[in-house]
Amino acid sequence: MSAQSIIISASPHVHSDRTSKKLMYDVVIALIPAFLVSLYVFGIGAFIVTAAAVISCLLFEYLIQKFLLKSEVTIGDGSALITGLLLAFNLPSGIPIWMIVVGSLFAIGVGKLSFGGLGFNIFNPALIGRVFLLISFPIQMTTWPTAVENQTALADAVTGATPLGIIKEGLTFGGTMTDLASKIPSTLDMLLGVTGGSIGEMSAIALLIGGVYLLVRKVITWHIPVTMLVTMAVMTGIFWLVDSEHYANPLIHILSGGALLGAFFMATDLVTSPMTKKGMIIFAIGIGVITVVIRLFGAYPEGVSFAIIIMNAFVPLINTYFKPRRFGSKIKSKIV
Amino acid sequence: MAEALNQKDNFLKGIIKENPVFVMLLGMCPTLGVTSSAFNGLGMGVATLFVLLMSNIVVSLIKSQVPSKVRIPAFIIIIASFVTIVEMVLEAFIPFLYEQLGIFIPLIVVNCLILGRAEAFASKNNVMSSILDALGMGLGFVIALTALGAAREILGSGSIFDIKFVAENANTFILFILPPGAFIALAYLTVFFNKISTKEAK
Amino acid sequence: MAKKKDTFINMVVSLFVITIVAGLSLGFVNELTVGPIQKGKIERKINALKLVLPEFDNNPVEDVKMIKSDLAKDSVEMYVAKKGENNVGTAVIGSSEKGFSGLIKIMVGFKSDGSINNIQVLEQKETPGLGTKMKDDKFIEQFRGKNPSEFNLKPTKDLGEVDALTGATITTRAFGEATQMAYDIFMKEGSTTKTKKD
Repeated sequence: MSAQSIIISASPHVHSDRTSKKLMYDVVIALIPAFLVSLYVFGIGAFIVTAAAVISCLLFEYLIQKFLLKSEVTIGDGSALITGLLLAFNLPSGIPIWMIVVGSLFAIGVGKLSFGGLGFNIFNPALIGRVFLLISFPIQMTTWPTAVENQTALADAVTGATPLGIIKEGLTFGGTMTDLASKIPSTLDMLLGVTGGSIGEMSAIALLIGGVYLLVRKVITWHIPVTMLVTMAVMTGIFWLVDSEHYANPLIHILSGGALLGAFFMATDLVTSPMTKKGMIIFAIGIGVITVVIRLFGAYPEGVSFAIIIMNAFVPLINTYFKPRRFGSKIKSKIV
Repeated sequence: MAEALNQKDNFLKGIIKENPVFVMLLGMCPTLGVTSSAFNGLGMGVATLFVLLMSNIVVSLIKSQVPSKVRIPAFIIIIASFVTIVEMVLEAFIPFLYEQLGIFIPLIVVNCLILGRAEAFASKNNVMSSILDALGMGLGFVIALTALGAAREILGSGSIFDIKFVAENANTFILFILPPGAFIALAYLTVFFNKISTKEAK
Repeated sequence: MAKKKDTFINMVVSLFVITIVAGLSLGFVNELTVGPIQKGKIERKINALKLVLPEFDNNPVEDVKMIKSDLAKDSVEMYVAKKGENNVGTAVIGSSEKGFSGLIKIMVGFKSDGSINNIQVLEQKETPGLGTKMKDDKFIEQFRGKNPSEFNLKPTKDLGEVDALTGATITTRAFGEATQMAYDIFMKEGSTTKTKKD
């Protein structure tokens, strides 16, 4: 399989020099601001986790393709690099290295190459790795080091909960939002990124910068991120308006817990999202609804990754019902 | 001589070439449901083997006495009776296994492997062939369930047949003893098994 | 042998014979196993009781009291252990629906002064490796000898005194709740059994 075959689109295929490789490197560039923030917040720990994830993803892709599948090695296309980066961004910075390696093996081996490699995977590989780790090692995966004072030290001493974790925990045993107001970080902190959480979900502003870059470079379209975030805002907003003592306000929900990371970088994965605009909107509404349901009523405080994986499974079905219009066919009213 | 060879093939086909789990993908419900440890897999496999053997014998014996219009209800009654016997015996004498397997014992009745063999094989062949067929298929099922149980137990609990080989508080891949782990482990074992058996066939 | 024809009478007769034989053999096996099954059930109960109660010489299973309580949906089983004529302890089945995966059922043994002697987990569906650690001696140890009237059964996170299982606060909370329920029932009903002589 050649590396250039990932873009699924309706014919005619206009040729340009925009290969999947270039798209992938645009994604990498877009992730840089968030990475810098996490370096600032978590210090060297964030770097080690990211490096471990990226190196092991590339290595496993190489080893499996070379020796197990005996197929063409495609690590140069950048997709394993992005899987590694996104996986690292979904991990807490204090996680043991061997767990990162196992998660990478799972992401690349099970999540991607088992399905036939890039372009054939049904689920986002990085999220497969992340969910595998979350279910297998719930303790390590939910131990969030707080921001470190000294950026070169390995953060392991202080741990704190994520804003969503605090809210979930608090509300479960009878607290109200007013009680919890002092415990959760301010909106400004969440925007800048000084909260507890996994490496990549720290700073809303950095993620937004990356997202806007992807939009400007036309790597992604606005449909998925905007629809997903609006769905989440509307849903959490309704609950908040009805009972603001027991439900967090929409702003907290959108700025925390990887909602932005998921919306811009993971739900929009070209391989695992629908082909048509209409399909994308339905896909994104699904993610938003499932995320909110998990956050408000589920056992986990956070649901973005589960929601994206669940909706990934619906993509073939969505593609069946919202087929791209064949080039040259008459535009019947309403079908686009 | 040719007859004997056929009987040998008849027995062996269930273990490798037509393995009920890895090749025919029959009886998925207990396969995925109870294999959280090697012992549970083995127990379920043996219980199924017993029911399969007994029902194959009885079905083969009475095949000419049962009018074909009512053969399916007749088979089901026979299978259900043996399953109930297994259930009662397990509860009386191996209560530990009975508790582990729980609802999956009565569900042996609807294991399509058993009705499938009764309908496809025992109702058309003599008793001797049916016994060998049941033993082969049953052993194939036992092997598959034990292997799956062992794989999940090793990865998920760091033990094999309840003998722990990692430290008490070691981090094991809990995912593998949870339901999704059953699907993932089954998929990879199926791949592995088919890779080996096709290599053998060459 | 020729295959039997699909006549009505043939069908009725063959199914009739098969069901008769099946019924008879099931009855026979049932006859064989009903004893051991009953015995096994009682034995397991006594074994659990022996683990949670101080030494006793009566048969608590025979003296089981079913208590209707508004704390639980079904009636709650309470077993009184005696040595000679003295009450040495009481075991109460406590339960909580608030486990990570629903119902947790435990047997709590109280000494006659109301302190906890030991706890056994009877039923649970918690996450393997996390919530299931509530069965470990290390976790249950902290309850032994404690009297719930002065020992807060809530996890430390909820300002109680129970050290939560790592990664399983919800399980710990439910476990404490089940223990509390057993204690409340024991305090309400246990006092009446103490005075009663039989």
